[in-house]
Amino acid sequence: MTDPNRRQIISLRDVQKHYGSYHALRGITMDIAEGEFFSLLGPSGCGKTTLLRTIAGFEDVSSGHVLLDGRDMEGVPANKRPTNMVFQSYAIFPHLSVAQNVGFGLRKRSDLDKSAKSALIAEALGMVGLDGYGDRSAQALSGGQRQRVALARALILKPKVLLLDEPLSALDKKLREQMQTELRRLQRHVGITFILVTHDQEEALIMSDRIAVMFEGQIAQLASPQELYRRPVTQQVANFIGVMNFLPVEISMGQGGSIDLDIAGLGRTTIDSAQCPGAIRPGLGQAGLRPETMTLLVDGEDADGHLAEGQVEELAYYGDMTYYDVLLDGATVPVTISMKNLTGRQVLDRGARARVAWDPRALVVFAE
Amino acid sequence: MKGRGLLIYAVLYLIFLYAPIILLPLFAFNSSTIIAFPLEGFTFDWFVQLREVEALHDAVRNSLFIAVLTAVFSTILGICAARASTRYVFPAKAGIMGMIMLPLVLPEIIVAVSLLVVVVQILDFPLSAWTVIAAHTLICTPFCIAVLNSSFQNLDASLEEAAIDLGETRFSTFRLVTLPLVMPGVIASLLISFTISLDEFIIAFFLTGSEPTLPVYIWSLLRFPRMQPIIMALGTILVVLSIVLLIVAEYARRRGVAKAGKADTGGFL
Amino acid sequence: MIGNGIPGGGDIAIGFDKNARRGLLLVSPTALYALALLAAPLGAIVLFSFWTQDFLTVDTTPTLNNYREAFANPLYALLMGRSLLISGAVTVVTVLLAFPIAYYVSFYVNPRHKSLWLFLITIPFWTSYLIRVFLWKVILGFNGVINSSLLELGFIEEPLTFILYNANAVVITLAHAFAPFAILPIFVALERIDRSLLEASRDLGEGAIRTFFRVTLPIAMPGVIGAILIVFIPTVGDYVTPRLVGGPEGAMIANRIQVEFLRLNNAPMGAALAVIAMVLVTFVSLVIVGLNRLWLGRKS
Repeated sequence: MTDPNRRQIISLRDVQKHYGSYHALRGITMDIAEGEFFSLLGPSGCGKTTLLRTIAGFEDVSSGHVLLDGRDMEGVPANKRPTNMVFQSYAIFPHLSVAQNVGFGLRKRSDLDKSAKSALIAEALGMVGLDGYGDRSAQALSGGQRQRVALARALILKPKVLLLDEPLSALDKKLREQMQTELRRLQRHVGITFILVTHDQEEALIMSDRIAVMFEGQIAQLASPQELYRRPVTQQVANFIGVMNFLPVEISMGQGGSIDLDIAGLGRTTIDSAQCPGAIRPGLGQAGLRPETMTLLVDGEDADGHLAEGQVEELAYYGDMTYYDVLLDGATVPVTISMKNLTGRQVLDRGARARVAWDPRALVVFAE
Repeated sequence: MKGRGLLIYAVLYLIFLYAPIILLPLFAFNSSTIIAFPLEGFTFDWFVQLREVEALHDAVRNSLFIAVLTAVFSTILGICAARASTRYVFPAKAGIMGMIMLPLVLPEIIVAVSLLVVVVQILDFPLSAWTVIAAHTLICTPFCIAVLNSSFQNLDASLEEAAIDLGETRFSTFRLVTLPLVMPGVIASLLISFTISLDEFIIAFFLTGSEPTLPVYIWSLLRFPRMQPIIMALGTILVVLSIVLLIVAEYARRRGVAKAGKADTGGFL
Repeated sequence: MIGNGIPGGGDIAIGFDKNARRGLLLVSPTALYALALLAAPLGAIVLFSFWTQDFLTVDTTPTLNNYREAFANPLYALLMGRSLLISGAVTVVTVLLAFPIAYYVSFYVNPRHKSLWLFLITIPFWTSYLIRVFLWKVILGFNGVINSSLLELGFIEEPLTFILYNANAVVITLAHAFAPFAILPIFVALERIDRSLLEASRDLGEGAIRTFFRVTLPIAMPGVIGAILIVFIPTVGDYVTPRLVGGPEGAMIANRIQVEFLRLNNAPMGAALAVIAMVLVTFVSLVIVGLNRLWLGRKS
């Protein structure tokens, strides 16, 4: 995904932020390319919003550098930075009309006359699907419409970077899903770099080109959505992005860079060293496996590859999917397996014996 | 059932609260020179006589001057303090705000005599309308802060950040976003401090110079039974004026609440 | 720009972040004003109370004579004690009368009409204090509203005299004047009670009255304490009401302070009385707050 030919629009160099004794950002270094849809993902309090506000200029850095389009932003206040922001609360000015809100940032543009400004406002409103809403009072808008006004108001200034602080968290589920696709489409259309702050891993996966997962003021992993899901670098990241089962494993070095494993409940296998993201060494570790990479075989089905056996301890029926907790023979904790409820596939009962097909290529191994 | 009993109590209580004020117009339009029942005839005389008392006009002018300046000064000081206390965390905040809000619970006579001591005995300043303004500003500021605090609290901090983000300076943000949104609170603050100053007696009594304020003048009249019906007429006018002012203040506050899109949680203070 | 230059505060400013500096700078005009016109004069009055004055000349030799005089002269002790007693009575009456009103408006009035009720309650408070007090004199007087009505209706033969020019009159008038001050804090406290707590208490088997004493009142207590203090403290120093309706038996400490300052030209004695009044008020307030803590503490 990272194209070396693309220009880096944002560069952070060892950014640190202290609030008194609280260390909010602990040395953030990364680059964000022009035109990228980039997400900062993490639990609340991980520093993602602080980082966004540091880029916007609402927070000073305690040390380190924020470069925007190659220029060091130290001492440059928020109103002089080529960034614009969509706030979590949308921050729509309640005393102004929709058009006045959208045109707020054009006030100081003396190069534009009134009609040029109106044209820009109309264009911006059209872009977010609010044609003809200009004269409405900002208070008469629904949550989704406020969101669009906030977008139009920020994009009308053609910023180099658009910052979005949890922009969808206030919307209900349906509207949120609709806005996710729409935001993505809008970003491709305008080609501006978007930086999205979110605590919703699904949202980040759906929308982003790249995601930085943050814990406790540090970036735990910066990667594309697929990479992040398939090859999380730590157990913490693996747990935060979707669900991952962990089974105790004994690691020993094989030949030619391969690694031999003895996994509790699954047995012996050999994997490629690329499947071990951290430093790998012989000894004990944890083998991670996503629920959908395992298959529960029903009578008559067979697998070509690896097979394990166990017993269904618990199940949760979701309509389209069924989630099983299966205690594999030889393991101490159950693994979660998700199965699509295809036509004709029976749902197993609690207590039933189960055969589980799995694929060593799906394994991620963490040394302890 | 329980609600009904309480309702009856509430109505009786309101009668108790309004008893003196209801009497006011009765005696203001009563032709007897004695303030007592039974009432005699209907008259406008007392209102007509009000127009002829020069000293009263001077007192009203003096009080208006004091009240207007007090309203402006205490609202400005109130804006500073309310803004600081709702937006910023700073050292000794509780202590500083406590000292500013102290006049709210201090007996007014203490404020009056302590200022009198400083002004007369220590600084040897002549007493004048300005000493009253200074003292009134001190006691009105906490009321202004109480009113303005809720305005500033209702103001979403990200609105101001949004304005800055869109290229405005700190100052123009205050002018374009903050001030319009807290304006109803500012108006309510001006009206409340104006009303308090206009009605305040004891501090004015101690600190006024040779020109009395309206309450100080009324106080001097209360000793003369001959003047009492005139005071009733004056009181009636003051009651009507303050009710009008209050309605304007309440209207401003509600508009502010509606503007901020918040649910109404009750009256000011 | 802003916040870089706190005058003379170089070392204080270091170590505070930008926000703290901005906050301090912003609050400083109001804080300095209060410091100059409140804290400094209060300090001055304490200082003054240790001086003496002979007609117009002030002797600045520190002495405890004013305080000795204040405690030795039975007149001062009487006035001080009476002020506290009257204020205490006013506080009890006002808060007891106010609570049901606040409770009614908070729990029984339709939320849409709550502001109207509060508005109705506050209106009398905004009308001229002097005239209101004077009207109580009219109501309570020898041939005032109450007496003439009662005589007319034949309930009494002689006008009642125990209702004017004594402490009773002062209590009634002050209870009226401070009503909104008591209602509003209690109302605010009651409004903050999560209604589901009361339902939970009923659900757990408590009756209406026990729910009130075990849930409603303890939660509303900060408001009640607020009401008590906001009525008690200013009424101790009230001047107008005792002067107009109190007569000689209803005179309070503020009247004496005024006499010392403006009639006897004995500012130091007046200052000493003011200081004693402040100390007593502060002491009583602290006792009230302390008792409340104790009561709430025992509850939990």
